[in-house]
This record gives sequence, structure tokens and C-alpha cells, in this order.
Amino acid sequence: MRDDEIRESYFKYFNEEKLPFIQCKNCGHRFYYPRAFCPKCGSSDVEVRFSKGQGKIFAMTKIYRKDGSYVVYGIVELDEGFRMYSNIVEGNQADIAKRVEVIFKEINGKKYPLFKVA
Amino acid sequence: MIVGFAGKLYKNYEKDGIELLKEAIDEALEMAGLNYADIDGIMANIGRGSFHGNKTYLNPPVQISEYFGIKPKIIDHVQYGGPSVLSMIYRAYKAINAGDAETILCIQGGKISHLRDNHFQKTDIIDSPFDDYIKIYEQMSPISDYAMVAYRHSKLFGTTDEQRARVAVMQRYSASYNPKALFRNPITVKDVLQSRIVSYPLHLLEIVYPIDGFHVFVVSKRRGKSVLRNIDILAYGEAHWPNPPAEWDDIIYTPAIESAKRASFDLNRVDTFQLYDSFTITVMLQMEDIGLVEKGKVGQFVESHDLTFKGDVPINTGGGSLNTGQPAYMSGGVILEEALLQLNDMADGHQVKGADVVFLNGIGWWSRRHSVTLVLGERK
Ligand SMILES: [Zn+2]
Repeated sequence: MRDDEIRESYFKYFNEEKLPFIQCKNCGHRFYYPRAFCPKCGSSDVEVRFSKGQGKIFAMTKIYRKDGSYVVYGIVELDEGFRMYSNIVEGNQADIAKRVEVIFKEINGKKYPLFKVA
Repeated sequence: MIVGFAGKLYKNYEKDGIELLKEAIDEALEMAGLNYADIDGIMANIGRGSFHGNKTYLNPPVQISEYFGIKPKIIDHVQYGGPSVLSMIYRAYKAINAGDAETILCIQGGKISHLRDNHFQKTDIIDSPFDDYIKIYEQMSPISDYAMVAYRHSKLFGTTDEQRARVAVMQRYSASYNPKALFRNPITVKDVLQSRIVSYPLHLLEIVYPIDGFHVFVVSKRRGKSVLRNIDILAYGEAHWPNPPAEWDDIIYTPAIESAKRASFDLNRVDTFQLYDSFTITVMLQMEDIGLVEKGKVGQFVESHDLTFKGDVPINTGGGSLNTGQPAYMSGGVILEEALLQLNDMADGHQVKGADVVFLNGIGWWSRRHSVTLVLGERK
């Protein structure tokens, strides 16, 4: 796959409420941030697969706004083994190691994956 | 071979960035007793939006040379954030030893108050090829990134808010003796904990304040009228972990683990440490990663040691950039200037007695992907 195809495909899948990741067919390495080749072994033989959208919070913070409200930003580790940054909704139950599941929300007119505490 | 240096720091500098840079170059050359005509090498790392209004130079050492009429034999644009200037010093020493140039300016900083105050950061420069998949989320990099590390560190090791606050308090104590510090009134652990939480668990008093400022270091084989000690590079190492930290084995480690190992310097020989201090947690991560304390034990360490310039383990002896402000979002110049002040017995009011060896570590980029370890002292 070409780089532009792979990057664009992510936005298409988000729109269909699917969470993509990439698996290297050469070494088996799984990663989220879209690349046309594997960052572990350099192979171009990679394929887009789909996550079940289940995982747990690896790291998180609550970013406070001036009015005292906050948003949770964190790193989620999916059960397939890859990690990604995202916002986590239902914030006050969020904590490291808590189970989460993917949801899709519109940001700037496009759908993106977020997570909510399971 | 560092024969002159200067740091010009302002909360709000009124004229353009290029004029602020000239102030810093003039002062550094004055200390060295050298002239613009002597400069035959230039290395730089400049904050974006820094020169004429919010204009960014594509290759700062080239455009600075053009503006000042410098005709360099070598040019180097080192751009991996805060620790870049530490690498420039190393490269300048190597170039001069190899005979590639005689007098090299190493520059870091910028005028960014207009960006700080208006949050005007819109630019076609990207920080990561994956910005489209990361920066769309509500986040506050780099603050939220370090906050995640601080929280994970407490979850795994029991590190407390009070322990982190102690770092801020001890650095502020040193700053109260530093005439160049922006923040000098003493603070307590309670003050830190009562300051606003910006990104949990980090409080406002644990975070640097971005300012306008340039640091210039003159590396030369010509002594001019310089009275500085003949400082050498005793050890050096750099390490780069370019992947997004989400893809690292764990975010509680930094590449300082590898840069310090590459420098491989006996810490018992160190008189003072200057560790990058964008946040309290940054200092603590480096204390662990350079080998001063075992991973996870830094909380207890800061409770049982005095990190002030008067203390048993003097760290960031001028108060660090947490108290001088952070020039153009990069603290490397602040820790390097402080190292040179200490080594030359010029640390007005906050001198560590017998400071002959200074260990510096810089951490760079919005997510700690780069680390540079530099040990300075006289080679005996
Ligand atoms: Zn592979």
C-alpha cells in the first residue's frame, strides 16, 4: 500500500466506526500510527487490520480548563497489543489499568476514535 | 575553548528577535574579546516564529549569517529541541579540533512572547508525521505528556505530589540567590500544591514559563582576552527515541538512560548537576535515568537530600529554567550558561564551592524523544 492510501484509509474506517491498526506480514509487529512500512523490520509487506476496540488505560492525565472542568487525555493499550493517544470520556472513573472501549465522535467535522470507561 | 557566553532573557522583549540575538552575540563576543570578523562557524537552533514578527527562518544559521554578514566555513542546524545547544558545543569542539574552523558561534533561543500570549501556533511545520492522528485530540502537549508520565510514575512507585513539589521548592531557594532569575520569592511545598492544577497531577508551579531569550556560546581556539577557564568536554553522549512515546516500552523511561550510558562518566566526580527542568518530573526522571538514583526511588531521594546550591547534591544551582523562564520553549541554554558560571566561579550569590566538574543533561522535543549528556571540566 502507498503511504497516502494507508493514511486516507484510516479516515475512511473511522467514518465507518472501525478502529484500524497495521500488522507487518514479515515480522508480525503491530502498530497504530499509519506507515507504509514496518518501523521494526523495514518491510513494505504490511496490512491494515481491525481492532475489537477493547483495551485498558496505560497512562492518563486530566487537563483542566479555566472553568474547572476537565478533559481526560491518555494512552490506551488495545488488546491486540498496540497503543494510541486518545481522549477518554466518562472521565471521573478513568484511571490507569481501567478497561475501556472505543467510541467514535466527530472532531472538526470528521469522525475519530475516542474511548469510554467500560 | 568556550571563551565567551551570554544569556539575554526577557519576559517580553519589545524589539524584534533578531535585535535580541544581536544583544546576546555582542555580549558573548565582548567576553571573548573577539569580533564578528573572527567568526568562521555558526550553529543554531531557534524557536519557531522568532525573528521578524512571527517569521520562522528555514535554516537559521544560514539566514543569521546572511543578516550579520558572517561568512562561515561550517554551518550546522541542530534541531531537536532543548538539548540541541549541548550538541552544538560538542560539534563545535570537534570541528575546531579537526581544523575545520577557528571560532564558532553556538546559538539557541528566540522571541516567542507573541506566541505565548496569543496562542498563535498555527504553522505548516509538523512535530510528528502522525500529528493528524494525535493532535486532533484535546491535549496540551508537552504539559499533558509529562503529566501522564508523572501520574504513571506515582501509580507505579508511589511518588507523591509533595515529593515533586520539593524539587520546585529547592530550585526556587537557589533562584532566590540568582540575580538573573525571573521568579525569586521563596515558596513552600504547600504553595506548589495550592497552585492551580494545569494537567493532573502537575501544578502551575511545576511548569516552566516560556519567555523571550537567546543564549550565545563562543567556542574558539583563540583566547582573545577571555579570562575563562580552559573548559574541556570530559564526556558526551546523545540518544534519540523518535517513535511517539505511546509506542515505547514504557513512558517512565527517557533516552537519558542511553545518552548517560554513552557518556559513561563516574558520578562521584561530579560537583554539580544541571538537569533539564521543563517540569519537576523532568528533573526527577533524569535523576533516575542518568544513574543518580534507582528507577522509582527518586521520590525518597529528594526527601533525604538537599538539591540547592548549598546542598549535598546541588542540582540546577541557579534555580533552573523553572525560575529563569524558558527561552523559546527550550531550556538548554539556561543549564549550559549556569554550568559555565559555576565552572568559572562567576555564579554570583549561588556559587557551589569548588565546582570543577559539571554534569549536564538535556531532554528535547514535546515528548522527551531526545537526550544529550555533556560533562564539562578542565582536563588535567
Ligand atoms: Zn516488520
